[in-house]
Amino acid sequence: MLAILRSEIFKFRKANIWALIFVGPVIAIFAGLVDSGELPVNSWVYTVLMMNLVYAVLFLPLITGVFASIVCRYEHQAGGWKQLLALPVTKGRVFLAKYLLLVSLVFLMQLLYLGAIYLVGNMQGFAEPFPLEIIWKSVLGGWIATFPLIALQLWLAIWFKSFAAPFAVNVIFTIPTILALNSEKLAPFYPWAQPYLMMNIGGKVDAMFFVPWDQLLIVVGGSFILFFLGGYFLFNRKAF
Amino acid sequence: MKYVVETKNLTKSFGKEQAVQSLDMKIAKGEIYGFLGPNGAGKTTTIRMLLGLMKPTSGSIQVFQQDLKKSRISILSKVGSLVENPSYYPHLTARENLEAWRKILGAPKSRITDVLAIVRLSDVANKKVKGFSLGMKQRLGIAAALLNNPELLILDEPTNGLDPSGIIEIRELIKQLPQSHGMTVLISSHLLSEIDQLATTVGVLTKGKLIFQDSIEAMRKLAKQNISLRVSDQDEAHRLLLAKGIQTDYQKDRLILSEFTDEEIANAIQFLVQKQIAIYRVEEEKRSLEDIFLQMTREDQVG
Ligand SMILES: Nc1ncnc2c1ncn2[C@@H]1O[C@H](COP(=O)(O)OP(=O)(O)OP(=O)(O)O)[C@@H](O)[C@H]1O
Ligand SMILES: [Mg+2]
Repeated sequence: MLAILRSEIFKFRKANIWALIFVGPVIAIFAGLVDSGELPVNSWVYTVLMMNLVYAVLFLPLITGVFASIVCRYEHQAGGWKQLLALPVTKGRVFLAKYLLLVSLVFLMQLLYLGAIYLVGNMQGFAEPFPLEIIWKSVLGGWIATFPLIALQLWLAIWFKSFAAPFAVNVIFTIPTILALNSEKLAPFYPWAQPYLMMNIGGKVDAMFFVPWDQLLIVVGGSFILFFLGGYFLFNRKAF
Repeated sequence: MKYVVETKNLTKSFGKEQAVQSLDMKIAKGEIYGFLGPNGAGKTTTIRMLLGLMKPTSGSIQVFQQDLKKSRISILSKVGSLVENPSYYPHLTARENLEAWRKILGAPKSRITDVLAIVRLSDVANKKVKGFSLGMKQRLGIAAALLNNPELLILDEPTNGLDPSGIIEIRELIKQLPQSHGMTVLISSHLLSEIDQLATTVGVLTKGKLIFQDSIEAMRKLAKQNISLRVSDQDEAHRLLLAKGIQTDYQKDRLILSEFTDEEIANAIQFLVQKQIAIYRVEEEKRSLEDIFLQMTREDQVG
């Protein structure tokens, strides 16, 4: 299993596109700097809310799909799947290795985002100390909320040979997030809205991840199980 | 007999079409098994099933006397393969491609340099594979198949895209693998001539059915030469020879004598001359293995 993961990391590293994980945090930095008119009470919270709007609503769900497509693209291009699956591996482990790689990439990106917030705050010379505990929870929660999305996108990326098809599906599901977030009834149930909600430090303040536990377990946990198992079993059934 | 590969009743259907039908394939240790068949015969489909890339519709597969379904991983760790078109990661160099697979196989790093040298790709080891010619990609595929020093090497049309000297090179390479490394080799082709000097056993597949499976010598026996005779009076000659107990095959413009010794031929001709029959031509008709292979696959299509 570790050997497969190492091979996956190697292939991805050599693809020279891992600079993509910087794109989101850098855009977020601009968003944080631009919106610095008259700052309300807690400037950290306000800045993070602004940065989240740009980073967590659309960018985070979309970029996970791009990563998923990349880690499958070089397998689709020239018979990579059959070469890989004729090695002493099981499809289950290959699926898991690719999934773990994606999850790790998003984690790295979330860490960079945390760094971006810190940077913006310091550039603007906020008086209050960096609220690490809150922001750390936000970054971690946003990461967890992408688990089901990554699973679905890996499923799609394995299924479609083309780069465009899974991306199109991804966009179709991500855009309605804007609408869903405007509806208090709908938002808690829409998986694509969860990254934003779980990063929203202005949300349910007493909750661990700014959303109720049952929402985390049912919506994020439920869609994760559905998408992960769906992708896992379809990959297992597919012939190469 | 203990076989390295043994399939029983192996069948694969795609919808209504049976791509592979009740295949009983047997490959003994140390053999070079030539797996022959015209395009679409089902060679690649069979090989995919042997590697567990595709599930059989029915039947069983034993490799190293273990059930493929149960022991797939331990079997595949001792198998090297090249299936259909060469597979590779275009964004990696030849060396990096091998490294990606080596990490999973756990072979020593030095093995990469070795296999690159074996297939003569050392000079371009650090070039991106997307710029490779078909033949170079094919060589990379063969290198990958050798990476784990396998006990069973499965090569699906490995000489595809190679130039004549490349074909000879690969042939020489494969030929010595059983002695030098104790490997068993399964090599598929749609040209008998390609593996004629290589295979020790031959399996002929047409339309998903294995219509011949035996040693190459057994196949060569089928290729024994015939003597064709053109004479002044063919009817009379045929009758006279028959009366003397010599069976000939009566064809439109000639008589065919098959499987006769030199002496028997000499006697028959002398006999005809004595009976005042003029001999116009005595010709040897050598059937090549290719002819036999063609005939086999053609007969099956008629039947
Ligand atoms: N995935 C598939 N779906 C449907 N039919 C298939 C599939 N794969 C193979 N076939 C069919 O199975 C038959 C055997 O194909 P296969 O590729 O095994 O032939 P082959 O002997 O390898 O031929 P070639 O010499 O051209 O490589 C063909 O009729 C092909 O159309
Ligand atoms: Mg084929």
